[in-house]
Amino acid sequence: MAEEIVDVLIIGSGHSGGMAAKILTEKGISCLMLNAGPVADAHKDTEMKPAYALPFRGFKEPGRLPHVFQSNEFNANTWVDEQEVPYTYDPQHPYNWVRVRLFGGRSLFWSRQSFRLSDYEFKGKSHDGYGDDWPISLADVAPYYARVEEIFRVRGRAEGLPQYPDGNFVQDDSPWSGCMQRFIAAGKKLDVPVCKARSSQGVDGLASSVNLLLPDAFATGKLRAIPNVVVRELRIDPNTGLVNEAHFVDRLSRREMSVKARVIVLAAGTLESTRLLLNSKLANSSGVMGHYLIDQIYGAGIICSVPEARDGKATPDLMGGNALVPRFRNIDSKAKNFIRGYALNVHSVTGAMDPRWFAAYGEELQNKLDSYHGSGFGTGIMGEVLARYENHVSIDKNVVDAWNIPVLHIDTKYTDNEFNMARDAVDMSVAMAEDAGFEVLSKNYDPNPPGYSIHELGTCRMGDDSKISVLNKWCQSHDLKNLFVVDGSSFVSSGWQNPTMTILALSMRASEHLAEQMRIGSI
Amino acid sequence: MRRRDFVKAMMAASMSAKTMLGQQASTTVAPSTPPPVPTAPGPVPWMRGLMEVKPLPMTPLVPDAVAQTNAHFFNDQQMATLRRLCDILLPPMRGYPGAINAGTPEFLDFLIGVSPAARQQMYQSGLDRLDKEAKQHFDAPFASLNSSQADQLIRPWLKTWMTDHPPTESYAHFMNVAHSDIRTATINSQAWSTAASASGHEAPDQGIYWFPVEPDLQRKGSALQKRRRS
Repeated sequence: MAEEIVDVLIIGSGHSGGMAAKILTEKGISCLMLNAGPVADAHKDTEMKPAYALPFRGFKEPGRLPHVFQSNEFNANTWVDEQEVPYTYDPQHPYNWVRVRLFGGRSLFWSRQSFRLSDYEFKGKSHDGYGDDWPISLADVAPYYARVEEIFRVRGRAEGLPQYPDGNFVQDDSPWSGCMQRFIAAGKKLDVPVCKARSSQGVDGLASSVNLLLPDAFATGKLRAIPNVVVRELRIDPNTGLVNEAHFVDRLSRREMSVKARVIVLAAGTLESTRLLLNSKLANSSGVMGHYLIDQIYGAGIICSVPEARDGKATPDLMGGNALVPRFRNIDSKAKNFIRGYALNVHSVTGAMDPRWFAAYGEELQNKLDSYHGSGFGTGIMGEVLARYENHVSIDKNVVDAWNIPVLHIDTKYTDNEFNMARDAVDMSVAMAEDAGFEVLSKNYDPNPPGYSIHELGTCRMGDDSKISVLNKWCQSHDLKNLFVVDGSSFVSSGWQNPTMTILALSMRASEHLAEQMRIGSI
Repeated sequence: MRRRDFVKAMMAASMSAKTMLGQQASTTVAPSTPPPVPTAPGPVPWMRGLMEVKPLPMTPLVPDAVAQTNAHFFNDQQMATLRRLCDILLPPMRGYPGAINAGTPEFLDFLIGVSPAARQQMYQSGLDRLDKEAKQHFDAPFASLNSSQADQLIRPWLKTWMTDHPPTESYAHFMNVAHSDIRTATINSQAWSTAASASGHEAPDQGIYWFPVEPDLQRKGSALQKRRRS
């Protein structure tokens, strides 16, 4: 029987775990990585198929993955099966928990939108009095953002807006298409900035832990990894009072095992990390673990048609490209019925239009689809959800997953602040689109259920005061100095930004701090 | 003498034990080695040659190419209403099959029949209401209405909507979701794909299908299987 004590045990292999592995191993520290799911091989595990050859003709298998709106019959096997790993909630307040347990986690599938938080997020309370400030500012994280942006090859253009901090970009010199120029002009009249979007180019089209982070870690010879093991519990050494053991179960055989470690880095994804800590009953002297669950509102938006692009007249000069409207509300003035703000994803549709955008059928619908082909233009909200103590997760003692591990109960809902923000986003989109001369075909004010954005954050928030936060500013447990949580659970506020760049930067920063603490013998 | 006999006897016993052990050692497996896997009666070349076999020159046929789906979920009146709705909403045009040609009514009967109860109820009540309104307005079942009559019952309920947000009013929800489902089932059919190929267009329904990646051996079964068992 192995009695090895590993230096650092990393639980999770996505962006945050991959970054921790890269930083720590490059500093000569041996790491063992555990991942709950298998290693996927797109060459072996996929095949091009027509929808008619699938059991349900491209419809989702009825009843499967009801909370994963992003799933379809082609990709259904890549998501966590909701029956294998269920979770509970009040039926009045559903939550869409969207998970991937393949090696590399959700870094395998993400939108690539790459933003920095600004001090309107890090220091939100100082700006508007709501919630709490982070214990760090943009200046603390900026050097790490710059290094992450280099690794991920973030394409963007400097805009000089404080709420949309510039970064270390692969320069985006692409010209605006005609439709975008018209939308920009409409925005200027309303004092709404329309900017170039920012996106990770990655390498060979992929911007994932499995191609940008983990290969470097494995190349050091310091990283070993075990797939298909589900961590059940972390345990404390009664002699030192520090966490020193992870108890896990083999996903396939159900064999129970454990491994000892000097340091544990949790990177299982916001809610899985918190679930593991709650099940382990540790690191929660503050009592706020599980609280302040936040994410971002998605789903509200509009779809339009650019009249000049119809009937085969859509040209690359007129149509194409995308843009981003960064937060503009509550910067220099106050919105009437909500605080904080939202961004708009703006895109041009150069291909087929969705039949659902027309109240027609049969030949009439087909004529519309032909005429409007390539003329689409749309916006979609990315809005900040306020951090509230009452939005929280806890352990549901009555339900277990396929490995007899108690599951999460998720208790969260949006309030008027989010609904009013969504309404404003749609109304502003309509005003700009109409000013630009577009025909608005459809609009939707209703956000998707919480969780849909796959940007669940918080529940182990960081802070200087150990009475009201779980982690310190280094993503290190206040209670257990050899426990770090480097995924999105440390967030104090969500902002409107896709959090991936921030998660990566914070994981890099925490890992360098950990390495230094280990070097000087403090840990 | 008695002593000599005893020694001889002991030697004989020792020899025979040694021989027996020797025989045993030559015919049994060492304790640390697992027993051989039992095979079918007799030594058979169980999987020999499989790695060398060339793939068969075949393209697997999907059943829809030659067979009809047996409808059994909707009742006769609902099925007749659904068929007419399919025919109205997506008739054959421009060389492409209509919903009827694509077997869409029968496919939806199957799909809805294995769906959660809320979806089943939405379809059943929607089809019932459509037929009821046909009888109220035209004194005839929906299945026998002409296009103009059907249009009067359908068009007021069609709305534009964005992904994941169909109309919330129950009958409008049915009408718009059914329309979307009918289109999807038809465009994703083999008949449509064949027509696209014949007209020189790329089939619209190709995708990267992910097989299960090391599926859990003890998976308790899908929601579908559970419903079928219950």
